[in-house]
Amino acid sequence: MFYIHQSSCISPQQTFKDADLTVLHGPVEKQLKAIEPTYDAIPPGVLRRMGKAVRMGAGSALPLLQEHGKTDGIIIATANAGKEDCVKFLDQIVQYEEGMLTPLNFVQSTPNAIAGQLGLITKNHGYNITHLHQGLAFENALMDADMRLAEYPDHQYLLGAVDDISVSSYTFEEKEGWHKQEDISNKDLYNADSPGSIAGEAAVMFLVNNIAAGAKAKLVAVDTLHSTDEHIIKERLTFFIQQHLQNNKADLLLSGEDGDNRLAHFYDMAAAVAGNETPIAHYKHMCGAYPTASAFGLWIACEIFKAGALPEHMTGSLLKVSYKNILLYNSYRGYQHSFMLVSVA
Amino acid sequence: METAALKQQLKKQIVEFLNLISVNPDDIKDDEPLFGEGLRLDSIDSIELIVLLNREYGIVIEDPKEGRKILTSINTMADYIEKHRTK
Repeated sequence: MFYIHQSSCISPQQTFKDADLTVLHGPVEKQLKAIEPTYDAIPPGVLRRMGKAVRMGAGSALPLLQEHGKTDGIIIATANAGKEDCVKFLDQIVQYEEGMLTPLNFVQSTPNAIAGQLGLITKNHGYNITHLHQGLAFENALMDADMRLAEYPDHQYLLGAVDDISVSSYTFEEKEGWHKQEDISNKDLYNADSPGSIAGEAAVMFLVNNIAAGAKAKLVAVDTLHSTDEHIIKERLTFFIQQHLQNNKADLLLSGEDGDNRLAHFYDMAAAVAGNETPIAHYKHMCGAYPTASAFGLWIACEIFKAGALPEHMTGSLLKVSYKNILLYNSYRGYQHSFMLVSVA
Repeated sequence: METAALKQQLKKQIVEFLNLISVNPDDIKDDEPLFGEGLRLDSIDSIELIVLLNREYGIVIEDPKEGRKILTSINTMADYIEKHRTK
């Protein structure tokens, strides 16, 4: 696949610029909301027109684009970005009986507003695309970047994923039973034994290319599938491991478990396939559950390689590590599944 | 409504409608240009202001040349609203 050189992350934890994963920030009103920085890189006149998802996406991407040179394209994944403005625009249509409508919410109401704004602000006229495939949007963006780098080996891309908690999407998801009814601490997420999870959000960006020197990590492989059949997923994960891992063993399984007891059996299966000796770490108690959370998982994997340690809240005990590879498994609502293998560069 | 109160209300509405996060309504001067210099508003803002006049004061601006004159400053907007408001 390709190498990850720089990364940036705005999330409910202290992840932007000087990351500190040892302190775990908890949910507010049952939501893990992003700690937003001051967005110095975004011109004030542009910032005031941005919705939260666009703001977070641009705010995390611009430091990378400004500090680390040119990119040949912008590849963004999002399942819901723009939905809040879309709903505001639709509300206006109803409220003002299809009369005079303001353009701002309309302009911001499409998911490609993030990649579009980044292209406009940085005057990047290269490849610019947004992937929308719910819980596999980020994995599709990864595969797109991989194909672009196979076709244009000298290129470098900004690759990222953004989703935010909007009032409208939270309300719908709550009614569908995807959020926990009880108000629990994220420390207890994996022991709750109840349906639903804690809603979350984040913007994660990477600079990727084919150059090994100086890279943070290498994305070795990614695979996705749609299925609710645990046996099919098990077969596919077993094949993935056999194909890409020497000795069929990962140094760490980074699990996308989100505390929803209806999905726990998928993660139990993944742990069994990875093997009893493979340690397991979690990350969704940090970022919450949202469609492109696997991007946060990949960012965490890069941080583990860099720090050589895992905070206690991720594993139950502090681990000092020198992992060479990390296997990530994520399930979105039990019907979209992804496997990623990341190794040290 | 007295002119001074109308101007103050208009300033608050402009800050709210245009999401001018770093602007205090009290800091906007009555004769300060809204576009080009001063508040440095742009063409998208002009559409937002035309919608504001329609929604809040029942004013419909159909001639772009007329709109340009009306949206020059708080003074010109308040003057037009006092003469043409329908609500």
